Amino acid sequence: MLSYVVRRLATAALILLGASFLVYLLTASSGDPLADLRASNAPNRQQLMDARSQLLDLDTPAPLRYFKWLGGAAQCLVPFAGTCDLGKSVTGQPITEALGIALVQTLTLVTGATVLAILIGITLGIVTALRQYSALDYGVTFMAFLFFSLPIFWVAVLLKEFGAIGFNNFLRNPVIPLPVSLGTGIVLGVVVAVAAGGEIKRRLISGGVVFALVTAVMVYFSATLWFKNPGLGPVVIGIAGVGMAFAVTTLVSGLKNRKALQASLIVAGLGVVSWFVIQPLLAQATGLMIFLLAIATVLVGVGVGYLMGGYDRGQSMRAAGITAFLVGGLVALDRFMQAWPTYFNNSRVRGRPIATIGAGTPNLQGDYWVLTIDTFTHLILPTVALILVSLASYTRFTRSSMLEIMNMDYIRTARAKGLSERSVIMGHAFRNALIPLATIVAFDIGALIGGAVITESVFSVHGMGFLFLDGITHIDPNPVMGVFLCVAVTAMVFNLIADLAYSALDPRVRIKA
Amino acid sequence: MRFGRISQAVGVLAIATLALSACAGNTGSPSPTSGGAQEGGTIGVAETNGFSSFNSGTADGNSDVNGHIGYATHSNFLYIDDKLNIVKNEKFGKYEKLSDDPLTVKYTVNEGVKWSDGTQVSAADLLLTWASGSAYYDDSNAEKKTGTTYFLTAADTSGLNLTDFPEIGEDNRSITLKYSKPFADWELALGFAGNGGIDIPAHVVAQKAGLKDAQALVDLFKSVKRGDPAAPKPVNAQLKKVADFWSTGFDSKTLPSDPNLFLSNGPYIVKDVVAEQSLTLVRNKDYNWGPTPHADEIVVRTIGSAPAQVQALKNGEVDIINPQASADTVEQIKALDGVQLLQGKQLSYDHLDLNYSGPFADKDVRTAFMLTVPRKDIVDKIIKKIDPEATPLDSQIFVPAQAAYADSVKNNGSSEYQDVNVDKAKQLLAGKTPTIRIMYNKDNPNRVDAFSLIRESATKAGFKIVDGGLGKADWSAHLGDGSYDATIFGWINSGVGVTGTPQIFKTGGGSNFNGLSSPDADKLMDELIITTDKAKQDELQTKIDAAIWSTSYGLPLFQSPDVKAYSDQISGVTAMPNQTGVWWNVWDWARK
Amino acid sequence: MSQPTQEEVALAQQVQHETVPGPGAEYQGLSQGQIVRKRFFGHTGALIGLAAFALIFIMAFTSVGFAGIPGWWKYNHVDVSPLVNDGVPSASLWPLAWGEHPFGQDRIGRDLFAMTMRGAQQSIIIMVIIGSIAGLIGAVVGGLAGYFRGWVEAILMRLTDVIIIIPVLLLAAVVAQMAGRRDADSWFAGFAASNGVVVLGIFLGLVSWVGLARLVRGEFLTLREREFVDAARISGATNARIIFKHILPNAVGVLIVNITLTMSAAILLETALSYLGVGVKSPDTSLGLLISQNQEAFSTRPWLFWFPGLFIVAICLSINFIGDGLRDAFDPRQKKFRAKSATDSGRHSSETAPASPAASGPAAADSKES
Repeated sequence: MLSYVVRRLATAALILLGASFLVYLLTASSGDPLADLRASNAPNRQQLMDARSQLLDLDTPAPLRYFKWLGGAAQCLVPFAGTCDLGKSVTGQPITEALGIALVQTLTLVTGATVLAILIGITLGIVTALRQYSALDYGVTFMAFLFFSLPIFWVAVLLKEFGAIGFNNFLRNPVIPLPVSLGTGIVLGVVVAVAAGGEIKRRLISGGVVFALVTAVMVYFSATLWFKNPGLGPVVIGIAGVGMAFAVTTLVSGLKNRKALQASLIVAGLGVVSWFVIQPLLAQATGLMIFLLAIATVLVGVGVGYLMGGYDRGQSMRAAGITAFLVGGLVALDRFMQAWPTYFNNSRVRGRPIATIGAGTPNLQGDYWVLTIDTFTHLILPTVALILVSLASYTRFTRSSMLEIMNMDYIRTARAKGLSERSVIMGHAFRNALIPLATIVAFDIGALIGGAVITESVFSVHGMGFLFLDGITHIDPNPVMGVFLCVAVTAMVFNLIADLAYSALDPRVRIKA
Repeated sequence: MRFGRISQAVGVLAIATLALSACAGNTGSPSPTSGGAQEGGTIGVAETNGFSSFNSGTADGNSDVNGHIGYATHSNFLYIDDKLNIVKNEKFGKYEKLSDDPLTVKYTVNEGVKWSDGTQVSAADLLLTWASGSAYYDDSNAEKKTGTTYFLTAADTSGLNLTDFPEIGEDNRSITLKYSKPFADWELALGFAGNGGIDIPAHVVAQKAGLKDAQALVDLFKSVKRGDPAAPKPVNAQLKKVADFWSTGFDSKTLPSDPNLFLSNGPYIVKDVVAEQSLTLVRNKDYNWGPTPHADEIVVRTIGSAPAQVQALKNGEVDIINPQASADTVEQIKALDGVQLLQGKQLSYDHLDLNYSGPFADKDVRTAFMLTVPRKDIVDKIIKKIDPEATPLDSQIFVPAQAAYADSVKNNGSSEYQDVNVDKAKQLLAGKTPTIRIMYNKDNPNRVDAFSLIRESATKAGFKIVDGGLGKADWSAHLGDGSYDATIFGWINSGVGVTGTPQIFKTGGGSNFNGLSSPDADKLMDELIITTDKAKQDELQTKIDAAIWSTSYGLPLFQSPDVKAYSDQISGVTAMPNQTGVWWNVWDWARK
Repeated sequence: MSQPTQEEVALAQQVQHETVPGPGAEYQGLSQGQIVRKRFFGHTGALIGLAAFALIFIMAFTSVGFAGIPGWWKYNHVDVSPLVNDGVPSASLWPLAWGEHPFGQDRIGRDLFAMTMRGAQQSIIIMVIIGSIAGLIGAVVGGLAGYFRGWVEAILMRLTDVIIIIPVLLLAAVVAQMAGRRDADSWFAGFAASNGVVVLGIFLGLVSWVGLARLVRGEFLTLREREFVDAARISGATNARIIFKHILPNAVGVLIVNITLTMSAAILLETALSYLGVGVKSPDTSLGLLISQNQEAFSTRPWLFWFPGLFIVAICLSINFIGDGLRDAFDPRQKKFRAKSATDSGRHSSETAPASPAASGPAAADSKES
């Protein structure tokens, strides 16, 4: 095991050396860094060209410059010495500093999107696999391929036009015309009717219910100008909490496990009670406090499950814990909604909350809730864009992996011995279908660090992708090398982790030491 | 028993809670107090690039955005207005020409003009500006790779390099420069934002370079002799330290923890910088030595692409944008409610140059080619949609914003080339069918379109046109190497000042790529650069313009259109052709 | 960079070490080719995709002509004609009419239909070139590495690793730079000047084979251990014969499916590169270049933005569906399982079900779950 890791790391180092040499040469040979000055008619043209040549050390041939760079980069291996030197960019900024700034921006942008894409993708993949060749399967497949086929800047421009500018205009006077409410209701109703499996009657009923519900909610929102002054209130939290309790219990233990259901319901009730109790505390919220509260919530849920016990205490604890987390989320969401009017009317936001650029409103003052909403309104569009285009691979991957597992002999065995379909899917198939995903996720993390070049440029986020692209356009190898190092090292490390995790998860895979 | 006892209890509890809370919707709950204090008078401006340096005069810091921030945070002896006139700011200080021969200029800063840390702007600051912009101490030789370049400035050092070491006034607020020969652009040599402005506090540089105070810096400057590239000396370590700090010490993408690094002596001062995203300027409290600013706060947002700028304006995130001009941007802006569009012209212009060699060695062939260039058509198709009032540019030297343009155009011979005249071109060619290779930047759609239109028209007269377009990274390296016969590209008129003229048109000039060599024009230009009188300068330039046209040099095509837009809620924004852009009157911006 | 790569989808195959089970009863007596064909033509999505792609292909190549052969459309992508009705598209659905400029005109009066068709041609050419070059190199490198193992594998796979961690954008930028260079007076410059798109495709193909190589290697690694390969070896078959006659036909499914997917990714790669200004260069055109040039026209002259965009989506979508159909056809492991019959067993409650995790297959499930 250890020797395997050491060998892998040694190979990785060699590959990195080779690849970095190539990258440096490629960047340096990709154009002429003096191009813009050559065509200049400034009286001090020569002086400017000399200055830039000196800055970029253009008199030294590129291969030699690489070794100079390598000398500086090698110091990064000395931990805590602070001598890391990755050179300077064409504007004189040290690359280490630029990377630090860019990395933060990129991670803010892509982390949420990636996590959500994975979660949604896996869910859709499993659902489509279980209902293979149904209307739902075709629908999801079509949508996934459609979004996958869309150039991302296309999506981004559309999102900005309709998701930000259109929605902000709507917020000025958030009245939904009745035809729109009806139309949305009809569309969603039809979608649900098609997607829901089973008899015609059942489909019609589900479609009808959804249509009625959606239309009613939209009419209600419009009548009360809900978007100006949104909120859930304990009633909605209570109803939703009960629903969640049932749903979570169904998935975790099956409704037959009464103790688990009871534990979840108690937790949902506690959630509603906590809504009253916790408001003064939430007024002084900080990020750390929310984090601690989240942990406490889950612990309370687990505790309730433990006390309820039942024939399978673990299931009760799990069901109650998950329910607690979800209901806690609702309470937090409600609190965000309470802060919405404050944010909306802030003089810096000027009633146009959804942003098209950047990662935050400059100089915004406010409490935890207002600032978090600000981050949210800035991230929502790029996140949606990224989710849409990266959903396809996760959905399709999970689907095929799940289909393969569902045809395995041991699944047949599990069915044959009379396990419920829930147990078969959740207990046997689902987990094993996820194992190969470790590789994919590891693969993605490298790309994630590299930033989303196009998304970044459309939404004016200056992250890793921007740094990289800027380096390429200015024929400036240093930023390119900086980004490359980060991406390559992360990718390699995570590939190694994925391989190790894989062998731990799947006993059939053995690491050859 | 369908439900256990506990389930029932939970149910009862839940119903009770719901009943209790039904009346407690969010509308009634106390709204939390968050710091939403009234913040008024804020104006948002979009910039294409991210801020990177508090010293916009250095070689690596002279980007447009750094220049704009520098302009808003520093005052100078003069600024340029939107009509390209020099406006003196006498509240800051004054400069006066003491004598014409030798040219002697005295600069005096008024008492009470202070850096934002309270230090008086002094002769030391002027001296530092002079030292950094004069290359006085440099003894580097680019070919032999010897000697040292101290200050890495982006400014043109040729003017101040003509001066001796300045004489420092008794009041310690003035210096006197004596030029070894007359210098045409003397007014712009010192104390003009972005090009030798009084932007960097000497006492900070001195302190950071390990000197005691500004006086020690002045003494250091006095003690070092003028550098001579022919006889390079060993590096002066202390001066190098000072110069290095000046060159790189003010580079920062974030707000430095040391406020000395962003001292202001102008209307605004930097309050906050979020790297690559935004920069916030607030009023400089002490400032009273120049036009009074209206807005309390200016927030600069970094937005790279033009569509993103327009969408941000539409969404109210910024109030003023300056996107790359295109027909679609203009139409998009026009379609917006509550937005004012400013259409103008930049100082940059596209032109077609013909080499004085190859098939174009014959003047008749050049003239014939020029007669086939559909300038009106090019302007109509490329520029009219952006700027409906656009016309072809008719002068090689002036732009219409300059007063001398109209006079020059009347007599420079450009009238011959107003319309395409294929017949006359054929006549001049006398049956010849020269093959012409036109080089241009393939990645610039305007140039591509201009090329397409020229090709179509020139082919009619019998020219065989070869597409010599190159990628954006390649084309400029080929300028002047003779691999093409004609080229389409852009130049930037300096707006004020005349030293740009010989750079392009003089025999052997640094940017004279097509090999123009006109003895008449050369003689006039020699005279031009030592002429300090504005009227005389215009007269000489008019003559030079005509001399160039008479050699069938090529054709200026059009000025690049300039598009700016601002929200209705803002007043005081006007178009400005030079690189200061809308920022030139930042003090007039106000929120209605 | 975070655009999903088809490789991720393709990796699904890599991790499937199981052997391909034999065809089911309904395919008895048919050759593998017949089975694949039958399954493929039974796949509605794939058929629609194929038809749509064929339509686009024919339209793109016949309308504006190709390789000197004139097409039936009256304009071409470079000619400038007077603006009709300010360039607004003349095509209409009701009454169904084609008009002078069905897709409209750009600002200097070029016909957008001709440009879109030309762009579609170029995009398809790039796609096919990338697909074939990447497929060829990937198959050779992966096959050699997987079959011979040892030092051959070590060298080839390390080379693959080096290329795989170099960002595609950088490679593409450099490559595009080289392809766009027309100054040197060599045969290459002459060729590149008139065939910029082909050169771009070739270079991109040269860097996008790495994912395929890994997949093919994985496939070869499994297949070379199979009994029929041993049998062939014992009966004295040469390496070449074993590779071409025995292993390759079995690996061809994976190869074809993933080449298809590489091709659909190639279209998007070309689009992204053109958007970033390092792809196809004007005055030649591609779909990606058209939309990136016209993205500012989005709200003012939307047709300039929508038509090329729709064509990209249509091409990419049809290729993806074809690939999906091929995958289903080649890979019988994804045949439908009957969840319906299994649901009846849900009647047995978990309370009565004995906990017997050990029997539940090689991957140990959590014992608490069952």
